[in-house]
Amino acid sequence: MVASSLRSFIKDVRSAKTLADERAIITKQSAKIRTKLRDDHLSHSKKRINISKLLYLYILGEKTHFGQVECINLIASDDFSDKRLGYLSTMLLLDESQSLLTLLTNMLNNDLHHPNKYIVSLALTTLGSLSSNELARDLYPDVENILKNSNDSFLIKKALQCIAKLIMKDHTILEIFPVQILNEKLLSNDFILTHAVYLGICKVLQSMLINFEIFSKENDTTIILNSLSKIIPHLFQRLSTLNSKNLEPSYDVQGIQDPFLQVELITTIKWIFKIGNELNLSQITQFNDKFTDLLTQIATNTDSKKNAGHAILYEIAKTTFELKLDQPLRVLGINILANFLKVSADTKRSNSNNNIKYVALNTLIKAVPEELDVVQRHRKFILHCLYDHDISIKFRALELTFAIVNENNLLELSTELINFLRKISKSNYIYNSNYIDIDDFKTLIVFTIDNLISKFEIFDNNNKNLEVAKFKFDSLVEILKLVGNFINLDKINEFLITINNFQNMEYKIESLSKLLLLSFTENENDNLNLSDNVGLQLVNIWCIGEYANLIISSKKTNNKVVNEKSLTDYLIKLNDYHSLSNNNRIIQYILTSSLKMSTKISDSQCIEKLRQLILGHDKNPNLIIQAKSVQCGLLFDQPANVKNLILQAMPKFERKVVTPSIKDTFQSETTTKPSNRNNDLLLDLLSDIDDSKPAATTTKTGNISDSLFLDLHAETKEKTTVDESLIVPQEAVTVHDTSNIAVYTNAVKVSEGAAEIDMYFKAKSNSLTNLQTQCAVTKTQKLTLTQLRPGNDIKSNEVSMQTLKISGSGKLKLRVKVTFTINNEMINEQFDYKFSQSI
Amino acid sequence: MSHLKYMLLVSRQGKVRLMKWYAPLSSKAKNKIMSDLTSLVLSRKPKMCNIIDYSDHKVVYRRYASLYFICGISSDIDNELLTLEIIHRYVETMDTYFGNVCELDIIFNFSKAYDILNEMIMCDGSIAETSKKDILTNVSMMDSIENNDNLDRVLS
Repeated sequence: MVASSLRSFIKDVRSAKTLADERAIITKQSAKIRTKLRDDHLSHSKKRINISKLLYLYILGEKTHFGQVECINLIASDDFSDKRLGYLSTMLLLDESQSLLTLLTNMLNNDLHHPNKYIVSLALTTLGSLSSNELARDLYPDVENILKNSNDSFLIKKALQCIAKLIMKDHTILEIFPVQILNEKLLSNDFILTHAVYLGICKVLQSMLINFEIFSKENDTTIILNSLSKIIPHLFQRLSTLNSKNLEPSYDVQGIQDPFLQVELITTIKWIFKIGNELNLSQITQFNDKFTDLLTQIATNTDSKKNAGHAILYEIAKTTFELKLDQPLRVLGINILANFLKVSADTKRSNSNNNIKYVALNTLIKAVPEELDVVQRHRKFILHCLYDHDISIKFRALELTFAIVNENNLLELSTELINFLRKISKSNYIYNSNYIDIDDFKTLIVFTIDNLISKFEIFDNNNKNLEVAKFKFDSLVEILKLVGNFINLDKINEFLITINNFQNMEYKIESLSKLLLLSFTENENDNLNLSDNVGLQLVNIWCIGEYANLIISSKKTNNKVVNEKSLTDYLIKLNDYHSLSNNNRIIQYILTSSLKMSTKISDSQCIEKLRQLILGHDKNPNLIIQAKSVQCGLLFDQPANVKNLILQAMPKFERKVVTPSIKDTFQSETTTKPSNRNNDLLLDLLSDIDDSKPAATTTKTGNISDSLFLDLHAETKEKTTVDESLIVPQEAVTVHDTSNIAVYTNAVKVSEGAAEIDMYFKAKSNSLTNLQTQCAVTKTQKLTLTQLRPGNDIKSNEVSMQTLKISGSGKLKLRVKVTFTINNEMINEQFDYKFSQSI
Repeated sequence: MSHLKYMLLVSRQGKVRLMKWYAPLSSKAKNKIMSDLTSLVLSRKPKMCNIIDYSDHKVVYRRYASLYFICGISSDIDNELLTLEIIHRYVETMDTYFGNVCELDIIFNFSKAYDILNEMIMCDGSIAETSKKDILTNVSMMDSIENNDNLDRVLS
């Protein structure tokens, strides 16, 4: 009867044609159930029907709060059906936070002593899933009673699980929990000791270990430790037999005996040793050797063909990393995971293999800090995963690849990565592979480039080696050709710096002229789509400005295609193209480049064209471009000797080298770069000359150029003058305060998924110079940092600020590291801060 | 160790067929998880791996015919591969109980599906019984007690 009425309700809902119909049926039933449940004289069977319907509403995601008390009332009934449904619905509709739970205390208390074991088990299950602190304290004795007196493994397993939960709720229970019952009663009695009871014992041990440190501060731990030292051999024994024999079909999973229990045993033992090693407890550490032997034994014996076997091997690998076991064992762990990658590279069956790839890549990265060499030995298989269909595996493989880059394999890995870029950047790749959407694809490329460039920077020190330098240079050019349209313009600056600083002029010019040749003959080249490759265009523009004369005069240049005229036309073409799209940044580059080029060529027609190009912008609606056009125009008219001096090729660009640790690449961490690196190379052009040759410029150029310099300077210095008198707003909170520096934060905007935080740095009595900050957020969030304003030198009692933009989800937490110099002494300070808000 | 945060059964049309929460969450948070995961999991292609990073934890899912079994697990503690086995064991057990289980069995007999789940996974999402036989014996025992009670009532 219960079934039929509920059945018709479910059928009605399912047969509803429209959403509105469905809603109407649900609302009607919901109201009906509400009235019915209020009726005190409702028969038990009718009540059950209504509660069942209520559960269906719950599954549909409807409001069910009005039935909560009725569910609890149902438990009070003597009827088994009532109790069963009552407990089921109570577990579903209530949760641990509700005050209604106190109503349960008495009923649970009664049922825990019930003669029917199934009623006891229902009560235990319910207490396990709904235990408030009060319930835990009030009912613990009853549960312990079952554990002591019952000989039924069905009840004992449930009591154990329940006790584990109660200990988690209230750790003071550990003071009274008779731990010896585990080894004296349970582990020595084969009749009771089923797999499930073992699972329960593991669970209780885990709860004890989690709370062990708090407990050990106030209590004597001898009893627990003595019991543990007696329990450990049992666990070893069981794990070993489980792994080597296959006896009971009921526990068999794909030929492996109870992988659930095996994994649970491994984890439990792992936790025991974690505590044992940390607190150096001899009762535990005496078993260290046996444990490592056992792990090795299991690793060799476990069948690695099926998922269940993988699960066990994976657990062993995790254990070897987490426990910081001896080197041979860590290598064992790494080899297990590498084997996962190997297996999936060998076979074509992809689905389940993708999972082991995922966990292998995800876990190997944790082993990199200690065992970089061992991990990187498996790079072949890691690289193989780059070509997986699954984007999350691609990403993990990329992260891992970047993590294992070192000086010796840099060439090999970057060649592979560029091949990877070449493959995925083929325009038809996206359409062929329906596994990747275009956004992921872009992120993938940008991620690859950014990391590759930063790796090049980190291993910059052996730049003296010409071959390596050439390789890096070629790689950058290749990247530019392949995916220049995806590269952020800020990153292009890195390219320009590299090109600028590249020592071997002959080789540089040769490569650049090839690059230009390629750009001019793009129509014949169907592999690459260069017309919308803004990154490449920008580099071309810059190179034309810097090296036009050298490129044209080089013997290796194909002068039929690359000559004064074609270079000029190229600039003009790009100028037209980008004027339409209002890409102001490119226009600025074009202006400077045209100006510089005009001094480097001899064809008067071309020079005139360039002049027209520059003057063409003197009425540009964008003020910056307009000003720049006018300035360039003025410079253009200067006598040649003045012009040439100012418009020389750039000197070597010195940058401060930041060497972030390898770890940085896979924590979502952003490093603020020294500000001078981010400055636009071209905009900086004059200040460099100004500094190095002040005498020459002032004597020769006279009034006009003086004011000109001021103008150009104003542009670059603009930023630095605006915020000079920064003060910390009143609502900002102090997060860090030492004798050198005080840091305040102010959450400007916190909304779902994003937050903006201003961070203020105030110098104390000494002035700080060269302040650099590194911030990290939790793994679920991404962080973007702005530059320090007004700058990274702070005079005493003055303030600099920086804005942090965080996206993602979770609690707002920051770890901040500040580095600065006081009186030529480098100082590091680090602190954490938790915000009350979350996103 | 197994420490599930929740288990959801979602149909290919995106309808929730069963849900069980092992961690106390506000109903707002629950709804967000359900709507996020439904779209996330349904859009996965067959060749992709069954593990997803979601918010601050991981999600492991597996598809059986028209039904997706979705589990939320803690990132560092849980074993993703074992979670797949847990899902599979649950499906196997239901399969024996219902005899070739299908989505409709679960829709119309959701309370039985819950009973089986509760015998298998307890407290804060830890696996309590791994023997299919034991789970089925106990669930059927409780079923028969219920039936006997009903019979008694009718006879009296």
